[in-house]
Amino acid sequence: MEQTKFIMINPEKCSGCRTCEMACSLYNEKECSPSLSRIRVVRNEAIGDSFPVGCALCSKPVCVEVCPTGANSIDPELGTGLINEEICVGCKACVRACPFGAAGISYRTGKAYKCNLCGGDPMCVKHCPTKCLEYAPLELTVRHRRRALADDVIAKLKGEG
Amino acid sequence: MYGWRGKRIRFNLTKGTWDVEETPYEYRRKWLGGRGYNSEVLYNSVGPDVDPLSPENVVCLGVGPMSGTFGPSTGRVTVTAKSPLTGGFGDSNMGGHWGAELKFAGYEQIILEGKAPKPSYIWIDDDKIEIRDASHIWGKYPRDADAIIKEELGDKDIHIVTIGPAGENLVRFACTFNDCYRAAGRTGHGAVIGSKNIKAIAVRGTGGVKIANPEEYFKICSEWRETMRTDPMAQGLLNYGSLILIMPCNYEMGWFPWKNLKYGYHPDARNISGEVWSKKHLRHKEGCFSCAICCGIVSEIREGKYKGEYTGGPEYEAAVPTGPRVGIIDSETTLHNAVLTNNFGMDAIEAGAAISWAMECWEKGYLTAKDTGGLELTWGNAEVVDKLLRMMTYREGFGDILAEGPWRASQKLGIGEDCLVVTRGMSLPGDDPRGLGFGYGLSFAVGTRGGCDHLRSLCCLELSGYLYPGLNKKIVGTEECSKPLVTAGKPKMVYWEENQKAFVDSLQVCCFNTHWSYGCRNEHLVPMLNAVTGLDFTEDELMTIGERIYNLERAYWAKMLSGKYEDTVPRRFTHEPMPENPAASSGKVLPLDEMLPEYYKLREYDPETGFPGEKKLKELGLEDVAEELKPYRKKYIELHKGKKGGKKKK
Ligand code: SF4
Ligand code: SF4
Ligand code: SF4
Repeated sequence: MEQTKFIMINPEKCSGCRTCEMACSLYNEKECSPSLSRIRVVRNEAIGDSFPVGCALCSKPVCVEVCPTGANSIDPELGTGLINEEICVGCKACVRACPFGAAGISYRTGKAYKCNLCGGDPMCVKHCPTKCLEYAPLELTVRHRRRALADDVIAKLKGEG
Repeated sequence: MYGWRGKRIRFNLTKGTWDVEETPYEYRRKWLGGRGYNSEVLYNSVGPDVDPLSPENVVCLGVGPMSGTFGPSTGRVTVTAKSPLTGGFGDSNMGGHWGAELKFAGYEQIILEGKAPKPSYIWIDDDKIEIRDASHIWGKYPRDADAIIKEELGDKDIHIVTIGPAGENLVRFACTFNDCYRAAGRTGHGAVIGSKNIKAIAVRGTGGVKIANPEEYFKICSEWRETMRTDPMAQGLLNYGSLILIMPCNYEMGWFPWKNLKYGYHPDARNISGEVWSKKHLRHKEGCFSCAICCGIVSEIREGKYKGEYTGGPEYEAAVPTGPRVGIIDSETTLHNAVLTNNFGMDAIEAGAAISWAMECWEKGYLTAKDTGGLELTWGNAEVVDKLLRMMTYREGFGDILAEGPWRASQKLGIGEDCLVVTRGMSLPGDDPRGLGFGYGLSFAVGTRGGCDHLRSLCCLELSGYLYPGLNKKIVGTEECSKPLVTAGKPKMVYWEENQKAFVDSLQVCCFNTHWSYGCRNEHLVPMLNAVTGLDFTEDELMTIGERIYNLERAYWAKMLSGKYEDTVPRRFTHEPMPENPAASSGKVLPLDEMLPEYYKLREYDPETGFPGEKKLKELGLEDVAEELKPYRKKYIELHKGKKGGKKKK
């Protein structure tokens, strides 16, 4: 069975460096600006926690459902986000609807943007120095996470943690 | 305009006004950014007679053309002011995300002039600028002030520069933070910012940085990042932070800064090594903006009497000064002390240096309970260290004297120089050149922000250069100089590293990418800069810019009548052989005088004064500076008539 690939986030590894934001915006927008990045990192520097938030590529995407013009869709073959800028009117309905703050409006074009998985090789994943992001089939990323948890618990039980 | 945003904000705090100035093309091409801009402003606006803590001093915070981009580790910010610690040129450099945010808001530099009439903070929201009341956060620790400002402005994603109570109380080595813990530690500009009644500078930027050749830039940066994934130094830093240094520093090379750098070795140094630390204390990784390495950490104490305390870092240079340097070798106490220096907002190096200096004086009987108000300054006395850090911050009792830094304290108390590990008024960090390397030693003697200078040249060609075959040969002309404890080739090495570091600092790229690990070298930086800016820089031009900045900073010292006679290191390194130990440093001293003459020649300094030579200054486009130095040369020669060159009296 062909499985959907998606970006798994392992926040315990995230250093909050925002390399992912820069990779996304430079690759997709030819400019370096967090405001144009599809992935954004929520940092809490006082205690050191960071959490990258990106498009979940929902199976039932509300951003698509609320779009009044049909500009907002999911590519049926690649499963990637798609905005037809020709018909997007910048009404921001998608931005309001997305539960993750993953859709945005470009300050340059006034049109919506969202994650397009860089055509199948997401740059945020590729350049993350801590390997906190993982682009793999759903089942595989879940296995990885389970194993990481198990390793951690076992180490603690053995008093190595 | 690509790369640069081309603007800076100059505040007149006395009047509560500001101007947004454009930086013309010629200016950008001459000084690049951050450190270069700042040094130019300081040189031209703060004269030799200005009291560093008066409103006439200025504080500059600068970033560069690559800041706020995909370029690896481009989050650095240089902070520059006339130093209240040394009285001379002072700058320091911090990571974090504030620098990138400033760029997104549209600026490369902030200049603070004058003095606000009451405690204030600055709020820069893209092109909206405000000076706001800070009476409610005056006295707060940096991370608390950070939280209150974020709450008040209703945005937790803004980035904020803050000072702590030490800065407010004009402790001469108070530092500046951004993002709570990323410190520009050295030379005391926290006190200068405090003297201007400024508590914080909060920034929100929603714009971006335009890239001239995006595809090209993406490609080069990606290659660089890829290199970092396999680079041995970079990987060590990622896994263990800069505390990775402890093991080789102690067990192989023998420059562990034990007890005010009297010794280079301790059998238990492992206790605070990165390897042990990451198991015991690592809470989370904490990377600076767009960093390819992510050496930053947040540490916590999980057991014992300080259980529950946490702080950003500490890095090697924040852990050792109030740890081994004062005779403490357990990681809990070391981390607790780092919590204190971060909370109070003081340079850990100078704070630890002040206490360890006092402890050595106590041991030798130069200080007694009468001087210290009853405190027993015995080595490793954790309780006393804790007390003194507080007393320095609030300038109480003996702490008030230590808050002046060890150099001034020793003068005030009339104590001799044999316990001082200081050059040009500034304490040296926890890097002992008797083991670390003679190139480091030379750079301590000639660094342009005082003797500290483990970061002025960052002589890593001798620390890690051997890992990159052919690198030393290419730069210095011989592989031999990658050995730490030889003098051959070291002057050239230092000369080259200083110039390179000056331009890299002006690009505001982190030295861990470009020096410590040589994964990224000039041959990568040049095309990167060109891809960002769309210009045609060459390696030669960048090295010349570095040399220009270096000479201007040196000229600043010259106007302070500091030159050849001040180019020295503490007696400890030149006259006290490293005590017997199992590592390489055993019995070594630093042969500084063997290296200085060649260094002077390379720099083309006046042999008589050690001031930047007239011909060189003119070559570098600093004709005005050459003119201006003339009377100072005469004065300096007059001042030192009859003395013998460059050496300290025995
Ligand atoms: S933009 Fe938001 S709602 Fe739309 S698919 Fe992505 S996560 Fe789901
Ligand atoms: S902003 Fe554009 S894509 Fe988003 S809902 Fe409106 S029309 Fe659709
Ligand atoms: S690049 Fe990786 S480590 Fe850095 S912020 Fe993004 S997800 Fe976190």
